[in-house]
Amino acid sequence: MAEIISANDVNFESLIKNNRMTIVDFWAPTCMPCRLMEPGLEKIAASHQGNVQVLKVNVNESPKTSSRFLVRTLPTLLFIKDGQVKTQIIGAVNPNQIEKTLIEVG
Amino acid sequence: METEWDVIIIGGGPAGLSAAIYCGRALRKTLLLEKKVFGGQIVNADIIENYPGFAEPIVPADLMEQMVKQAERYGVVLENDEVSGLRQVKESWQIEVYQKMVAAKAVIYAAGSVHRFLGVSGEKELLGRGVSVCATCDAPFFLQRKVAVLGGGDTALSEALHLAKFASEVVIVHRRDRFRAEKILQDRVFKNDKIKIIWDSEVRSFKGDQKLSGIELKNKKTGANETIGLDGAFLAIGTIPNTELLKDFVRLDDNGYVITDISLGTEAKGLFVAGEVIKGNRRQVAISVGMGVQAALSCEEFLASLD
Repeated sequence: MAEIISANDVNFESLIKNNRMTIVDFWAPTCMPCRLMEPGLEKIAASHQGNVQVLKVNVNESPKTSSRFLVRTLPTLLFIKDGQVKTQIIGAVNPNQIEKTLIEVG
Repeated sequence: METEWDVIIIGGGPAGLSAAIYCGRALRKTLLLEKKVFGGQIVNADIIENYPGFAEPIVPADLMEQMVKQAERYGVVLENDEVSGLRQVKESWQIEVYQKMVAAKAVIYAAGSVHRFLGVSGEKELLGRGVSVCATCDAPFFLQRKVAVLGGGDTALSEALHLAKFASEVVIVHRRDRFRAEKILQDRVFKNDKIKIIWDSEVRSFKGDQKLSGIELKNKKTGANETIGLDGAFLAIGTIPNTELLKDFVRLDDNGYVITDISLGTEAKGLFVAGEVIKGNRRQVAISVGMGVQAALSCEEFLASLD
């Protein structure tokens, strides 16, 4: 079963260097909606195994990556493909909304 | 129709989850639908100090996770999905969710409320770029920076106190000359050296390109305008009830709140309400919990009449 991969300022670039769709979940330990959203993201990672990878970035530990994407609110989900940000979702969402977004961004 | 339930509860905050526990214990086939995260808006708060039964402060997410487990223990099915349509067809309530319809004999509507926005220039564009609605979520971005909190209720003052642990300075902008928050919170705010208060003022616009750089204020008493530079602005100016789906079935007041009585029933047969959708609700977890219980008991009385 595919799991959510922990990414940081050091390994982020190498992790998005593939042609798969990547969902990046920006979170912090103090962000409770982030914590409560995690089971939904685990479901997405499992059901799209092989096609979509899910990364989580702790903004406290990876300030460069969060600054690079101008992330200033949590939770924020970025949808990245071929190194390009296709779209983002700000605020807590359910797995179906993530599914819908995946369909929209292809 | 994919599924037939006794009760469908719309909303997974304190009211919806409390109703779910009681419906489950009444051995009713119960489905709870929540569009964001289980627990409701209270999970955005850093601590709860006034929920009876806990002498020490508790983490809201911990409390809500316990409510979720308690509901599941009594057989309630919890689904993370958004309701996009509600219809009454004869004796049945039909509910449209993502790619399917579900139906029930009764509905408990506890969909809560959404953040109120000011609707002024720059607010929408800078949301997530310095303008925020969740201090506990976003405080880490404002370490040693200056931020503002807009509002004067419990949420505003709690958020200011939380932000003061991270920011170099917190300015509370309030449109009145006094707060309506709990006195204990006011006391802490007044004693906190990092927190300053600007009374009688409203935000006219949010300034900044790509990210927030300041807010333009107007003093309601003097009429004077002032722009202050800052990196973050947290909106805590109240909420709007999530009652769009109810307007064809129940009486709403001018602000969209449901008008009901202590039974928490409505003029629509089999439709009950609980929590922040109700007129006069004071936005407390304990109140929403009590309302959820009351709605579930009224709902059970209704279901028993059909048995």
